[in-house]
Amino acid sequence: MMHDKIWNLLAKKMADQLPPEEETELERLLQQHPDASYIKEVLMQPWKDKHKPFTPEETELALQRHQERLQAAMEHEEEEPEPETGRVRRMILRISGVAAALALAFYIGYAVWPQRRVSAEAALQQMVTRQGSRSQIKLPDGTSVWLNAGSQLDYPKQFTGQYREVTLLGEAFFDVAQDAEHPFIVKTKTFSIRVLGTTFNVRAYPQEENAVTSLVSGVVEVVMDKNTVRLMPNEKLSISTLQTMSSGEAAENAGSISAAAPVVKSTLTEVTDSVMAETAWVQNKLAFKKQPLEKVAVMLEQWYGADIRFKDEAKKQLYFSGVFEEEDLSDVLRALELTGSFHFKKDAEGVIWIE
Amino acid sequence: MMNEEALHQYFRQVCDDNDQDAYNELYKGLCSRLIHFSAAITGSWHLAEEIVSDVFIMLWRKRAQLAGVANPVVYLYVCTRNQSVNALRQQRRHQHMSLDHLDTEAFAISPDTEQNMLSAEVTQKIESAIRSLPTRCQLIFRLVKQDGLKYKEVGELLQISPKTVDAQLAIAVKKIAEAIRLDMTADTAQSYLFR
Repeated sequence: MMHDKIWNLLAKKMADQLPPEEETELERLLQQHPDASYIKEVLMQPWKDKHKPFTPEETELALQRHQERLQAAMEHEEEEPEPETGRVRRMILRISGVAAALALAFYIGYAVWPQRRVSAEAALQQMVTRQGSRSQIKLPDGTSVWLNAGSQLDYPKQFTGQYREVTLLGEAFFDVAQDAEHPFIVKTKTFSIRVLGTTFNVRAYPQEENAVTSLVSGVVEVVMDKNTVRLMPNEKLSISTLQTMSSGEAAENAGSISAAAPVVKSTLTEVTDSVMAETAWVQNKLAFKKQPLEKVAVMLEQWYGADIRFKDEAKKQLYFSGVFEEEDLSDVLRALELTGSFHFKKDAEGVIWIE
Repeated sequence: MMNEEALHQYFRQVCDDNDQDAYNELYKGLCSRLIHFSAAITGSWHLAEEIVSDVFIMLWRKRAQLAGVANPVVYLYVCTRNQSVNALRQQRRHQHMSLDHLDTEAFAISPDTEQNMLSAEVTQKIESAIRSLPTRCQLIFRLVKQDGLKYKEVGELLQISPKTVDAQLAIAVKKIAEAIRLDMTADTAQSYLFR
């Protein structure tokens, strides 16, 4: 059996702290135990975080959020010097409630932190999910939001004024806190949704050709350029986004689609009893009914953060239904593959090919 | 991961020259590591990001006084640890907070299957081998392997001796090695023998 010394040396090697004299000893031990070389290889490779790995984009976003907090803190300090760092969070909470103080602070703050941005932006919070991850937050008014993969939600640190307004890119499920005095508004590139207190799902990914609002309970109004559609529970409204996307400046024309764009009202899709395709993801379920494999592949990419491509274009038109909960990506693909209509392979780069 | 020397350099530039670019680089180089560390203590990613942000706000405020800090990286870890423990104390009114109650999932790491020849099964075995280790041992392994801290630095941060770090790491490596070896075929072993 291997002497424990080898693990001690391997640990030091991994930590890049192995002195030269012990290096030779490790070499000798590795020659005697070839399988330990393999273990060394695994230990020496870069590993990854199991949860919340930071991509460069994510790091950049975290830095932006930090700069906004720093700016707010420095602005306040100028107004009322406070040397103790432990109080920063409390301070920020305190000022956020007082609009007048904020306005003054922003004004003064310009002198302090040269990398300034517009003051409205400083109070904006942003929540971003990567492909393959979902998360949940509570907004300052008590509204719960589940954010699906690859999505972005902008919301203020504190709701002020007549409306509670948030901006969504991607898909989110809202359970809006009741507050008749302050209607809740979700803005997307294609439409806005006005609600008082209700639960509903919005799917508005920029890369998809339809933006869909699905209502679970309560009443919502979907406001487009010229018309407004009222939805009742279990109804959904699907609006083509193609017009805005082809206009080139899609991002700039928030909320404007031409009246000619196809707008379809229908009911939610029940996949199995009480599992609705539109909102299953909130319960951590992936559900689809009679969807072409092309669409299913996109859902899987978002859900698992994978890269799926077709070698055989004809396979895109195969139709599938399913509800998945705990399964990992290969389980799901294997289950679909069992129908015998396609095969999949993972290549060295991790791309999944359907053929 | 950014190397320690570059991070030290940025820290000096922040303290000595009020260099904002260096400050941003320092944040980018450390935010992932510190947020994971804080999340293990607080159990919340959201709070962890805020705490790390607070630590960096403090750094900007006190930069003039911090020029003498001998090891900036360890210093920032220690600040993050203290702020995290404080936040938790305030939030949950815990009387006795210690680093033994950690959310180990928050700092879990695993081999990158995309990059090597490990099967998903072996990777899972490695993960569960790590999970079977005592909390502190798992943390030490992560701090060395993923965060690139030296034995001495881990010792300072966790207030234990470098010797203890050394011993704990050997235990972790042995456990992981066992998980890998069980799955190794004679062929694989042979191929390594004649390299």
